[in-house]
Amino acid sequence: MKLDFLIDQLAADLAPVRPRRFWVDASIMALVAVIELVLLFATGFAHLDIYRMMTQPTMGWRIVSLGVISLVSGSLAVRSFDPVYSARGALRWLALIIAICLASGIVMAGLPAGAASLMQRLDWRSGVQCAAKIVLLSMPPLLALAVLGRRGAPTDMRRTPLLIGLAAATWGAFVFIFACPFNDPLYIVVWYGVGCAIVTLACRFLLPRIARW
Amino acid sequence: MADDHWRALMMAAQTGDATAYRRLLVEVGSWLQSYYSRRLPSSMVEDAAQEVLLSLHTKRHTYDPAKPFGPWLAAIARYKWIDRLRAMKDSATEELPEEIPVRDPGEALHSARSLEALLERIKPAQANAIRLVKLEGLSIKEAAERLDQTIALVKVNIHRGLRQLSELAQEESREA
Repeated sequence: MKLDFLIDQLAADLAPVRPRRFWVDASIMALVAVIELVLLFATGFAHLDIYRMMTQPTMGWRIVSLGVISLVSGSLAVRSFDPVYSARGALRWLALIIAICLASGIVMAGLPAGAASLMQRLDWRSGVQCAAKIVLLSMPPLLALAVLGRRGAPTDMRRTPLLIGLAAATWGAFVFIFACPFNDPLYIVVWYGVGCAIVTLACRFLLPRIARW
Repeated sequence: MADDHWRALMMAAQTGDATAYRRLLVEVGSWLQSYYSRRLPSSMVEDAAQEVLLSLHTKRHTYDPAKPFGPWLAAIARYKWIDRLRAMKDSATEELPEEIPVRDPGEALHSARSLEALLERIKPAQANAIRLVKLEGLSIKEAAERLDQTIALVKVNIHRGLRQLSELAQEESREA
C-alpha cells in the first residue's frame, strides 16, 4: 500500500532527463584541470627558471609519472560514478603504474652518502611547504570530482573515494611541478608522496561519510 | 528480470513518459520486494524497496540506455542492501521490540536461510549473538544470560559480527 503511494508520487514528479555520459564528465574534469594549470602560469606562480628546468631529465620523469597517474585515476574515478562499474581490476594496474613511477624515481635519486646527506637532500622545512601546496592545489579537481560523483551514482564506497583522492592529489602535484624549485628525485618522491598520500587517504576515509546517497 | 522490457520502459521514462515510468516502478517494486525478502528480515523489506525506488527516481539519469537495465538496478539494490546491513551494525545495541511481525512465513524462511549462509561464515560467538538479538528479538541481557557471556561482550560480538557480515555481503556482491 505504502509502495503504491510512493509510485504514484514518483510518477507524478517525473521530468525528462538527459542520460549521464562519461565523456561529458571527463571533459568537465579536463577543463577544470587545464584552467588550474593556466591560472598558475597566468598569475605568475610558475617557477621563474622553468624553461631551463624543463631540459632536465627529472622534469620529464615528474611530468610523465604524475600526468599518467592523474589521467588514469581520473578516468577511472569518473567511470566509477556509474553504479555498475567496478574498478577492482583496473586498480591493480594503477598500483603497478605507481610502483614503476616510484621505483624509477628512487633509481634516479641514488643512495644518499650518509644520514647528514639524507637530511640535507630532504630539506624537511621546504618539503613540508611543498606537501602543503600540493594539498592546496589538489582542492579544485577534488571539488569538481566530488560534485560529479554526487551527480552520479557510485556504489563502491571504498575504491571510488580512493580514486577521487588519487586523481586530485596527483593533478595537484602535476601543477605544482611548474612552481617547484627542487629537482632532486629523492626529495620529490618523499615530499610529493607525502602531499599525495595526505589527500588520497583523507578522501578514502572522509568521502564515504559524506558521499553516501 | 525482463531486461529488454524494463529497458524500453526506462528509456521512455527518461524522455518523460509517466505511464511507462509508473509501469516500470510497479514491476521493479515487486522484484525488489522479492529480492529483499531473501536478504533482509521481513520487517525491513518494504522500507528497503521504497528506498531503492526513490534512488531509482533521483538517479535515473545515470542509466545508460545503451546498456542492460538489470545490472544497473541490481547494483543499486545491492548498494542499498549493504547500507541496510551497515545501519543494523550501527544500531547493534538497540533493543528490538518484543514482537516482530512476519507477513509471510515462506518468505521469512527464505530470508533466514540466506542470512544463515552468511552467519555461518563469521565466528560462532558473533553469529550466536546476532541470531539471538537481531533475529530472535531477545534483549542484550537475555542473550548474555543465554550465551553465558557478559553484556559488554555480547554488544562487542554483535557489533563486530555485523561489521563482518557487511564486509562479506559487499565482497559477495562485488564477486557476483
